Amino acid sequence: MTSIVRNQWYVAAYGREVGRELFSRTICGESILFWRTEAGQVTAMSDRCVHRRFPLSQAPSHLVGDTVVCGYHGFTYGADGGCVAVPGQTRVPRTARLKAYPVVEQDSFVWVFIGEAELADPTTIPRAPWLDQEGWTAVSGMEPLAARASLLIDNLMDLSHETYLHGGYIGTPEVAETPITTEVDDDAGIVYVSRHMADAECPPFYAKSTGIQGRITRWQDIEFAPPCLYKLHSRIAPTGSVPQEDGTDPDAFHVEVVYAITPETESSTHDFWAVARDFALEDAEVSEFLRENNRTVVLQDVVALDVLEQVLAGEPDGYQELSINIDTGGLAARRLIARLAGEGAGAAQAVAR
Amino acid sequence: MNEVLAGERVMRVNWLPGSDRLRGRCHCGAETEAEDPVQMWEWLLAHPDHPAGGAGAPDPVGELPPPPAHVVTDPALVRGRSAVLV
Repeated sequence: MTSIVRNQWYVAAYGREVGRELFSRTICGESILFWRTEAGQVTAMSDRCVHRRFPLSQAPSHLVGDTVVCGYHGFTYGADGGCVAVPGQTRVPRTARLKAYPVVEQDSFVWVFIGEAELADPTTIPRAPWLDQEGWTAVSGMEPLAARASLLIDNLMDLSHETYLHGGYIGTPEVAETPITTEVDDDAGIVYVSRHMADAECPPFYAKSTGIQGRITRWQDIEFAPPCLYKLHSRIAPTGSVPQEDGTDPDAFHVEVVYAITPETESSTHDFWAVARDFALEDAEVSEFLRENNRTVVLQDVVALDVLEQVLAGEPDGYQELSINIDTGGLAARRLIARLAGEGAGAAQAVAR
Repeated sequence: MNEVLAGERVMRVNWLPGSDRLRGRCHCGAETEAEDPVQMWEWLLAHPDHPAGGAGAPDPVGELPPPPAHVVTDPALVRGRSAVLV
């Protein structure tokens, strides 16, 4: 049985990755070709020519205006995936059409809908506005993870691991020591995990980027919209500082850490990460520091989770694990994803009927 | 406790500071405490039939099955047994 939840929107790329060069990425086991029309619109279609399955992203396949020409025999497709020309004959077979994917460019991401296209509703795509918004500066990247997506979700839903896996970067003793609160909104499909540290050591990640000396009030508020978009609202302020009654928070530094967790296959994942800040907006050194440090932290997770995937893949189904208080949010995320998987399967059956 | 999500069907689990205990509250108002998040979610997700004994409570004991023959000492029970069991 598949662990990939279908009939969902997933982040497939950053907008900057898709241009007038053919670009391919496997999303949820499907090889998808991306390119931008001359008007700048992102397109998403199957990366396999209907003729003999040659990858359309593979040279000498190429773009001609708003069509892509297969580099093997010249089958030519329009931006909607429909075949417009085949070699040596005028009649284009009626079934010569690439599967086209609903695609939306939003908040610096390219989102695609994996499943039955008629079920795609762009208004349900969760937002991460800070990644492309006045008043914020963002750095971002993507690391390939040779592990199933659920391991990354487990990892991100329980930040107590920062103390052990990311010491010297973002981890301090207080993270693992501080109790969390967990909320689940079943209707909205959101898990929210909050850890507010009133008096904590400032890890280098924040000390160097904000310039704060000494101890801090550190808030970590996770907002996960399964199955793909994870947001960590991070608030760093001098000890004792709280937001003002009118909602403004002038004494604090705000960092929005965003992950998009997109299955590549059953056992590999695209680990999109982004860090947006509302301070030092023009400071290239701060940008570079946050980019390098967050990437280092992500790679620490990648190393650990790649090992964990190998271990779990070698164990019989139904292996034992143990959950404690720190896992309250992760368990809630698993349950929501299981529900989405059931709904996705049900919706697919309904469409089939 | 911080309450962030504003929906009508929000379940909350609060790790009680200074303890190892969790306190859970369903959107219907039912509350319980537990020391295990798995049991806590099972209890909350049983809505609207939250187990009366709280999270992790054993299932209510129904009618006991007849005892195995070799531990029966009550002569009345012995006499009442069916021939098959003797």
